[in-house]
Amino acid sequence: MTWFMGIDIGSAYSKGVITRDLELVVSHTIKSGADYRKSAEIIRTELIKKANLTQNDIANAVATGSGADNVYFAGQKASDIVCTARGISNVFPQARTVIDVASQSTKVIRLNEKGIVTNFTASEKCAAGSGRFIEVIANVLRIDLSDFDRLAARSTSPITFNTGCAVFGESEAITRISEGVSKEDIAAGVNKALASKISSLVNKVRLEQPCAICGGGALNTSLVKAIEDKLKARLLMPSCPQIIAALGAAIIAATPPASQSTKQT
Amino acid sequence: MYFAGVDIGSTMTKVVLLDQAGNLVSFIKGPTGAEHRQLANDVMRQALEQASLQIDDISYIVATGYGRLNVPFADRQITELSCHARGVSNLFPNARTAIDIGGQDAKCMRINSGRLVNFVMNDKCAAGTGRFLEVTATTLGVKLEDMGDISLKSTKKIQISNLCTIFAQQEVVALLSRGEKLENILAGLHDALASRVAALARRLGIEPDLVLTGGVAKNIGMVEAMRQNLGCEIFVPEEPLLTGALGAAILAKETHMKAAGAGKALPATSRRLEKVTFFNQEYR
Repeated sequence: MTWFMGIDIGSAYSKGVITRDLELVVSHTIKSGADYRKSAEIIRTELIKKANLTQNDIANAVATGSGADNVYFAGQKASDIVCTARGISNVFPQARTVIDVASQSTKVIRLNEKGIVTNFTASEKCAAGSGRFIEVIANVLRIDLSDFDRLAARSTSPITFNTGCAVFGESEAITRISEGVSKEDIAAGVNKALASKISSLVNKVRLEQPCAICGGGALNTSLVKAIEDKLKARLLMPSCPQIIAALGAAIIAATPPASQSTKQT
Repeated sequence: MYFAGVDIGSTMTKVVLLDQAGNLVSFIKGPTGAEHRQLANDVMRQALEQASLQIDDISYIVATGYGRLNVPFADRQITELSCHARGVSNLFPNARTAIDIGGQDAKCMRINSGRLVNFVMNDKCAAGTGRFLEVTATTLGVKLEDMGDISLKSTKKIQISNLCTIFAQQEVVALLSRGEKLENILAGLHDALASRVAALARRLGIEPDLVLTGGVAKNIGMVEAMRQNLGCEIFVPEEPLLTGALGAAILAKETHMKAAGAGKALPATSRRLEKVTFFNQEYR
């Protein structure tokens, strides 16, 4: 019985997990802030405390995410694509497509029956295709990100954005507010716009079912529903979608190097 | 006999008044608010006051810009592309290409004999418009009007790797915290925008002389970045915001003269300049 750690430093949130072999034991999530190195340390400390372990109990740690370089105590780095694929295969071995809605980008990954990545695409260049669009509009609406889902779910007539750009979308949302449109309808409009961008991303690598969704964006269940409507498919949803890449990193940490069939990027 | 051009842009409203000979009588620039109609009135009133004229002294009014339909006292609406082309050729008769970078879009126009022959524009992505500089300047705590001068002190080329304005916002903060100098970051931002606009212009084909207009043309760092990216000389009008309104006023004069020459009915001179709102039934 051995303990492993996976740490995923994203642009908005830092996530970490400890697994016992391939089983998730504890997880911890914090805002990344400006100092990724410090965030990584906090995650490690908190995880060890939660699991009631010491640092020496951790056999191996793997880092991923855009800030992976800051996890100086990790034995290894792995790409977020590979980690997300590993993490989702651990939860849903049947998944053939994964949609990862993160703050910086949305990624769509295709997996084969062994859970190995066969293709992927990402929306890296544009905030309107990532969870950031939601953060931007939540800021304009002066609502907490955690309230976004609840508000959007209450909408009766979601607005349609005339723009595909998050910056212009911000101005458009301000105009709509001044016109008296409800926060609910604006929030639902954002989900609708994002769902449409995400579904065209999915179509680029072709949807193969079953399809799972993860990343912080999956916490927004109205967004998940909007994507399901757009794709006309049910999505598998992990109980903690935000830590999937961290989980995958821990699983890679637990896999002896010789049997790691996935390439590092 | 006087003629007016009213250009309602996304951020600024501009009015130009011309006399019968086509000389500039007055011009006014004011911020565009949420209420275009009311603002158009205010700016028009100011322009008239400056020239000591009454609204009835104006023979023909052309409205242009994205808010052109919200000018209740205009006699005709003409797209900003045609007006820009006309205004630019009036100031630079040899101009064959005009690039207008505003707060909401970027337009590249090919001009022949004062007329618009072809154009391409970007109004889809903020990263290819002046908004890119507006947003990042705010993030850096730099006034938009100071960006150009500061950027000229740049000693090092910094590449802004993010295309999206929102991600670039994050990137400039990271660059600052890494100890990069403000002037170098600003120069990097100018180069990023200039390279995108240059790519847009190349789709159209560039023929000299090239004139740069719009609010972004007031930024000397951007003019320099455009020159480097396009590799040709760039002409900038003294008032780069006014070419649309100027073109509208010239087109107002031409329309009026043509109609008068053909003995056609001219627009009623009893225009009203009182305050109107979006909710005023009369103008629906």
